[in-house]
Amino acid sequence: MKDIKNKRVALIIPAYNESEVIMSVIKALDDVFKKSNYDYKIIVVDDGSQDNTSVEAKKAGAYVIKHILNTGSGGATATGLSYANQNNFFVATTSDADGQHNPKDVLNGIDILIKNNLDLLNGSRLIDDKGMSRVKILGNKGLSFITNIIFGVNITDSQSGLRVFSKHALINLKWKTSGYEYCSEMLWRAKQLNLKIDEFPIDAIYTEYSKAKGQNNWNGFNIIKILVKRRVLEIFGE
Amino acid sequence: MSRYLILVLFNAPLILVAIMGSVVDYKTRKYSKNKFIAQIAFWLIVFIALLSAKPIYDFLFTNSLTQTEPLSLFDVIEISGIIFSLFLIGRSRTKIETLERRVQDLHQEISIKLSNDD
Repeated sequence: MKDIKNKRVALIIPAYNESEVIMSVIKALDDVFKKSNYDYKIIVVDDGSQDNTSVEAKKAGAYVIKHILNTGSGGATATGLSYANQNNFFVATTSDADGQHNPKDVLNGIDILIKNNLDLLNGSRLIDDKGMSRVKILGNKGLSFITNIIFGVNITDSQSGLRVFSKHALINLKWKTSGYEYCSEMLWRAKQLNLKIDEFPIDAIYTEYSKAKGQNNWNGFNIIKILVKRRVLEIFGE
Repeated sequence: MSRYLILVLFNAPLILVAIMGSVVDYKTRKYSKNKFIAQIAFWLIVFIALLSAKPIYDFLFTNSLTQTEPLSLFDVIEISGIIFSLFLIGRSRTKIETLERRVQDLHQEISIKLSNDD
């Protein structure tokens, strides 16, 4: 923890059509990290938005990587982490662009990762699920249970967007899916690489906006279908 | 010449090409070891099935388990067509997957490079 001033931290926010809230999300993150000892950079990966997400993010002072095509949340996260790796960041975090994460949890996650010498730290909204609707709890618990059955990864919230990565994870962690299913696949790949994985409790801030933007439970079935396919194809080496 | 022999002679070169293609793809690291094993196993099963088509038919016919006619020339062409389609599907799939991966990597790199230029 002594040398954290020299260690650069990438705060990655994958975003798609989030012009309404992206500025406030960046400012909230900036306010918290300004008071910390970390040398940080907020990176917004605009996943081919049709609105002014990039413009608003730049106005708020973030570094923007704009995808030419919409690839999905997994693709945008991969681009952000690849950028962090190429530019020698010591730690990288990902958090959602809809404002559902508390910036203090992001800072707390970095501290925990460094202190415990972990490779991947998953923020879990389900360790303390207050603030979440029953439907969301059911959907997320269901997907976490299925992730555990298919991939053998025992994590309480497999769909969380708040994650913290070590340099070792940045270099080695790769996944194949590009939609929301990447959340589960990433944990599986991390397990295959024997990375040190842990989780910590985080708040879930649900506004009307984030409720409207979030995935619904029906999309969960699509995620399960892709995860099962991915698992079966892996048996045949694909 | 027996039609069963024609069937084998027609398809053996194709299966050989498919197996050779899998070996080359594995050696040039386009395939993982598991995928290579799965591909070789698949084509060997197809080849064994072709070789044993006549003994299986004879066995079924003698034991009154089938009443169908022996292989016709049309059947030979049809089975060869199916095997050729399987070969094409396999090769196309590999090419599409390689291209998909390259396009994803390219898109990622271009996005990062363009953001650096801004």
